[in-house]
Amino acid sequence: MNYLKIGCIVALAIFLSGCAAQRMYYWGDYSNTLYQSKKHPSDQSNLGHQQALENIIEESGKNNLRIPPGVYAELGYVYFRQNKKDLAIQNFKMEKQLYPESTLLMDRLENAVKLADKPKPSESNTSEVQPSKPDK
Amino acid sequence: MNKSGIINKNNYLLLIIVILMGVSLSACAPKMVTKADKFPLLYEESPASILILPPMNESTAAEAKDYYATTIQEPLSFNGYYVFPYEITTEILKMEGIYDAELMKDLPLQKFREYFGTDAVLFTTIKKWNLSYMVLAANLTVSVDCELKSTKSNATIWQYNGTVVVDLSGGSMGGGIAGLIVKAIVTAISSAMADYVPHARTANYMALSTLPYGKYHSLYGKDREQKFIEQTRPQ
Repeated sequence: MNYLKIGCIVALAIFLSGCAAQRMYYWGDYSNTLYQSKKHPSDQSNLGHQQALENIIEESGKNNLRIPPGVYAELGYVYFRQNKKDLAIQNFKMEKQLYPESTLLMDRLENAVKLADKPKPSESNTSEVQPSKPDK
Repeated sequence: MNKSGIINKNNYLLLIIVILMGVSLSACAPKMVTKADKFPLLYEESPASILILPPMNESTAAEAKDYYATTIQEPLSFNGYYVFPYEITTEILKMEGIYDAELMKDLPLQKFREYFGTDAVLFTTIKKWNLSYMVLAANLTVSVDCELKSTKSNATIWQYNGTVVVDLSGGSMGGGIAGLIVKAIVTAISSAMADYVPHARTANYMALSTLPYGKYHSLYGKDREQKFIEQTRPQ
């Protein structure tokens, strides 16, 4: 009887632990704020998404989790649009360090930042990435 | 006497366990296949990185494409692949004049390897993104085909469909004409507020549960024998 009970409990524990597998990444509010920034594009919704990205990095650090793929890169890209070039490059480098698979793209982006003139925020929805004029 | 009592109890427990197993297995009654049997090419190539292409939209909802695109990167990352940042890669593709994955269907995918360094590209097709009205009810349907292709061989290395159907009609509202009218109003309201995106996320998780794990997942290389329901595709 007791054996059976124990057996059942063990089986249940194994079954449940399968469901509650250790969390791999913390994505916070990412897909929600991204959706909002598409549904209601505005400075406010863009800022909301930026904060979600910054929050992922902060919370992942606290919980000893790997930053999810693409988060550093996307945040770097946000900084790039705001013409915060150093921050942009710093984030692209972090992405590359964490995920070597991103090396080619991150190097391209870093070059684009170095070559870019001030991206105009007013045009930021259409033509940013590489306004590839050399620096003055 | 006492002893037989215990045996009876044990038998009950065993019976319950057997029934529970039967129930949980019967849920999987459709034809099951293992990941390794269904997607051998993926295991052969074991891609490390995936680039998500802009979705193709076969539904009648124009906005579906932009909205759906926000739902895929996060769940895909949980399969253990390096997933390129969609917000950046679509901008780059747009600058190259590529807004639609339709344009890329027949291109050599090696271009994506050369430019982004990706091992595989994910094509998604929104098949359904709609409300279907019946007399006093409405169903919301989101259906998405996912297809992963190798940038080395151009071959399809994984594909699956995720479909979610949600009944939006409110609970019962009592009988009589008044009840019908109230129910019709409830249906109209919930349709107006119908939010597809959470259901699109569910559809993604459904499809992605059949995708073999990548190198950042703890079960990488250990999931060959995992089974899932085989889908028969209308050709």
